[in-house]
Amino acid sequence: MAELKKNTNKNVELKGAKKEDIMSPWKVVKHRLRRNKLAMVGLYTLLFMIILAIFGPIVQKYVFGITMEKIDLYNISAPPSLKHPLGTDEVGRDILTRLMYGGRISLTVGIVAVSISVVIGSIIGGISGYYGGVVDGIIMRLVDIFMCFPFFPLLLMLAAVLSDYKVDPKYRIYFVMIIIGILSWTGLARIVRGQILSLREQEFMQAAEALGLRDRRKIFRHLLPNTFASIIVSATLGIGSAILSESALSYLGLGVTPPYPSWGQMVQVATDYYVMQYEYWKWIPPGVCIFLTVMAINLFGDGLRDALDPKLKR
Amino acid sequence: MIPVLIGVSIIIFLIFQAAPGDALTGMMDPKMSYETKQKLRKQLHLDEPGIIQYKYWVQNVLKGDFGESFYFKQPVGKVMNTYIWNSFYLSLASFILSVLIAIPIGVISATRQYSFMDYFFTVFALIGISMPSFFFGLLLIKWFAVDIKLFPVSGMMTAGSTAVGFAKFKDVMYHMTLPLIVLTLGSVAGLMRYTRSSMLEVIRQDYVRTARAKGLREKVVIYKHALRNALIPVVTIFGMWLPGLFSGAMITEAIFNWPGIGPIELLAVNNRDYPLLMGINMLLAFLTLLGNLIADVTYALVDPRIRLK
Amino acid sequence: MGELLSIKNLKTYFYTEDGVIKAVDDVSLSIREGETLGVVGESGCGKSITAMSILKLIPNPPGKIVDGEIIFDGKDLTKATDEEIRKIRGNKISVIFQEPMTSLNPVFTIGDQIIEAIVLHQNMNKEKAREKAIDMLKLVGIPRADEVVDAYPHELSGGMRQRAMIAMAMACNPKLLIADEPTTALDVTIQAQILDLMRDLKNKTNTSIMLITHDLGVVAEMADHVVVMYAGKVVEEANVYEIFKNPMHPYTLGLLESKPILNQDKDRLNSIPGQVPNPLNMPEGCYFHPRCSKAMDICRREQPELCSVKDGHRVACHLYREVK
Repeated sequence: MAELKKNTNKNVELKGAKKEDIMSPWKVVKHRLRRNKLAMVGLYTLLFMIILAIFGPIVQKYVFGITMEKIDLYNISAPPSLKHPLGTDEVGRDILTRLMYGGRISLTVGIVAVSISVVIGSIIGGISGYYGGVVDGIIMRLVDIFMCFPFFPLLLMLAAVLSDYKVDPKYRIYFVMIIIGILSWTGLARIVRGQILSLREQEFMQAAEALGLRDRRKIFRHLLPNTFASIIVSATLGIGSAILSESALSYLGLGVTPPYPSWGQMVQVATDYYVMQYEYWKWIPPGVCIFLTVMAINLFGDGLRDALDPKLKR
Repeated sequence: MIPVLIGVSIIIFLIFQAAPGDALTGMMDPKMSYETKQKLRKQLHLDEPGIIQYKYWVQNVLKGDFGESFYFKQPVGKVMNTYIWNSFYLSLASFILSVLIAIPIGVISATRQYSFMDYFFTVFALIGISMPSFFFGLLLIKWFAVDIKLFPVSGMMTAGSTAVGFAKFKDVMYHMTLPLIVLTLGSVAGLMRYTRSSMLEVIRQDYVRTARAKGLREKVVIYKHALRNALIPVVTIFGMWLPGLFSGAMITEAIFNWPGIGPIELLAVNNRDYPLLMGINMLLAFLTLLGNLIADVTYALVDPRIRLK
Repeated sequence: MGELLSIKNLKTYFYTEDGVIKAVDDVSLSIREGETLGVVGESGCGKSITAMSILKLIPNPPGKIVDGEIIFDGKDLTKATDEEIRKIRGNKISVIFQEPMTSLNPVFTIGDQIIEAIVLHQNMNKEKAREKAIDMLKLVGIPRADEVVDAYPHELSGGMRQRAMIAMAMACNPKLLIADEPTTALDVTIQAQILDLMRDLKNKTNTSIMLITHDLGVVAEMADHVVVMYAGKVVEEANVYEIFKNPMHPYTLGLLESKPILNQDKDRLNSIPGQVPNPLNMPEGCYFHPRCSKAMDICRREQPELCSVKDGHRVACHLYREVK
C-alpha cells in the first residue's frame, strides 16, 4: 500500500510536468466538488434559498402587492390557498412572504456572525501561533475560558441582559449577530493557531525572515493564506450552526423579535397546541426552511472539506 | 485549571454587572420603603464597588453559597440540586444510547467507505446535525403525542402518580421516550461522524495490515485492533460531554417540559433571576473543566503511550 | 528442492478515479523450498504489490487481482476463499513489514500480539502460547524476553521492534517469510544485525524467504536467486552470482552502476536518467526505453518478452533476442 501511495504521488508530479494537464489547486477542488453529488445538491439548495430570500420579497411586493406587514383581514389564520400559498398567520399576514423575509434575516445573521467569528478567530489564532511563548500562553488561556462556557446558556444570558436594555427590535438583529459571532470564534482560533505553529517552522518562512519582512506582513500575507482551506471549511459549517443558534434563540423569544420575522421565531406559535395540531402551515414551513438551509450548508461544507483534504484522494 | 475558573467567574460576574438594575431589583417587594431598600443593599454589599462585590460573591461561592434565587425564593444550591438530577437522567440515557448507536454505525461507515451504507449514514448524520432540536421536538409531539397519542405530550411522570419501584421507572421511561429521541438524534450524528473519521484514519495504519497478515478474522481486525485505536480520540470527547449531561438538553427539556435544569434556566432568564443564572453558569463552567480533566485521565487510561509520561 | 510457491502471469490492477494502474502486470516467479528470493526494483515498481497479492493483502477496492495464478503447496491462492487465505496468513506464510515503528499495534503489548497469532494457528492455550512467545523473543535475540513480552511497542527501539515483528512472523514456523524492505527503516548497524538474524533463522528452520528490497547490497548478502522488476514487470531473473557477474538488462546494469563499490576509484556514481513512467500512461513498447541508453527502434514499438538466455538466466530485452 505504501508503494501505491508513492505511485500516486509520483503520478501527480509527472502530471504537473506535462503542460496539458496542469490543474491549479482550486481547479482540483472544483473538479472534486463537482463529482460529489451530495455537495452539489447542498450547493443548489442553498443557492435556491438565497435567491428566494433576496428576490422573493421583491416579487411579492411589486407583482402581488404583498408585504410582510400587510394584513389580510378577510383571511386570518387561513390555510394555504391560491392567494396565500402557505396560508396566513394569526393577524392575517402572508406566511410565504414572511418566510422569505425570515430567510433574509436568518441567512444574514448566519453570514455576519460567522464573518465576525472568522475575523476574530483568525487574527487571534494567527497572532497566538506566530508569536508563541507567553503571548500564546495567555491567548490560549483566554480561549480556554471562553470554551468553558456552555455556549447556549451563555448566549441566553447575554440575550437576556440585552433584552433588559430594551433595544429596538430593529437593532436587536445586529446584537444577535454580534453575540453569536463573539461567542464562536474560539474553535477557529485554535485551528488556525495549530496550523500556524507548524507552518512557521517551514522553509518558506525562513525565506520571509531572511527578506526582513515585518511581522504583520508575515502573518497576514504568508501564514494566514495557507490556513485558508480550514478557515473556509469551518466558516461554511459555522454558518449552519449560527443559523441554528439564531433560530433557537428567536424561538425562545430572545433573538430576533417581532415585527421582524425570523424562521425560529415563526415556529414559536407551535407552543400553542391548537396551532400545533390544526394550523400546521404556520410552523412547519419555517422549521423545514431552517432544516433545509442548514442541511444544505452542511452537505456543501462536508463536501468542501473532503475536496480540500489532500489525503482523501479516491 | 484554577486560573481558568477565576477567569470564568470574572466574566460571569461582569455580565451581571452589565445588566441594568442590581440584585435587589428582582427580589424587591414594590411596597418596600426606600430606607429598607438601602438597608438591604448595605446588607448585601450592593453599595460597594464592583470589585468588593465580586470578592463577597466569590467568598460565598467557595462556601457553596450561590445566594438566593429570586424566583424560587430558595437558596440557588437547593434549586439546582432539585432539578439537575432530572436533567442528568435524561442526558445519561441519551448518552448511553448515542454511544451504542453511533460507534457501530461509525465503524460500518468507515470500513465500507463510499458504499451505499456509508452515504446513508452520512446523510442521516447530517440530518441529525442540521435538524433544529426545537422543531424536531415539536414535530414528534405533533405526530406521536397529539395526533396518535402514543406518548405523553410533556412532563416526567403522569400527574398525581404515586407509583414506586419498577412502575415508576416505566412511567418515567414512557415520558422520556420522545425527548430521548430528539436528544439522541443530535448526539448520534456528531459522535458517528467523529468515530468514522477516526476509524478511517486508523484502518490505513500499518498495524492493521499486520493484524490481517497474521490471519486474524476481519471482525477481530476491525473490532479489536482498529477500533481500540480509533476510540482513543473518541473517549476523550466523552469527558467533554459531562457539562452537556447537565445542560445540553436545555431546549429539548423546555419543549417537553421535562423538569430539568433547562426549563429552570429559561425561567431564570425570563424572570431575570440573576443569582440562579450565575449559579447555573458557574456550575456548568466547573463541570466543563472537570470534564476536560476526566478526558485527560481517560486518555491516559486508553493509550499506553501516554501512561508513561 | 521443490517449488514452494510459484506465481504465474499475475496481474494486479488498481482502479483509481484517474484510471487503471497496472501495478503488477504479468509477473511470473517462483521460490523453492529453503531458498531466498530477492525481488529488486525502484519504489513503485510493483514488488510490494506482488508480495501482498500472495496473501491477498491488497486493499480492495481499489486493488484487484485480475488474472494469474499463485500456486502455493499445490493450491491456487487466487482462487482460495477468504477463510482459506486466513488460515495460511501468519501460519504458513507470514510477513515482516518495512516500518517496525508503525507495524505493531500501539495499544497491545508485544506478547499479546505474538500470542494472538500462536493461539490462532496452533492449538495452544494462553499460558503455553505465552511461553512460546517468550521463547520466540529469545530466539530473535531480545534480551530480557520475559519482561519485553509485557512491554508496549513504544517502549522498544526500532531494531527491537523489528526483532519482535520477526518473532511474531516466525512464531508459527512458516514455510515462507515475506520480508518487505525489512531493514530500510533501520540504522545501518541494526540492518546488519537484522539480516544476520534472518539468515540464521532461515538456516535453522529451512524457511523460504521472499526478500523485497531496493538495496542491492542486501540482495548480494542474502539472496540465492534474484528477480528484477520495473514498472510492474519482471525484466531480469537469475541466480545471485549471475546477476552480479553478468547483468544483462540495461536497467539491471543501471542499478548496479548506481551502487557504490569499495576500492573503486570513481568520482561519482552513475544514475539512471529520467523517472519511473507514469503508471497511468505507460510508454509504448518496452516500458524502459525512454530511459535506456541502448534503446533501438523495436523497443519503441514492441514489448520484449521474458526469454531464457542462459540456463536459469532470463531477461526481457530486445538486445538479447538475436543471441537466442
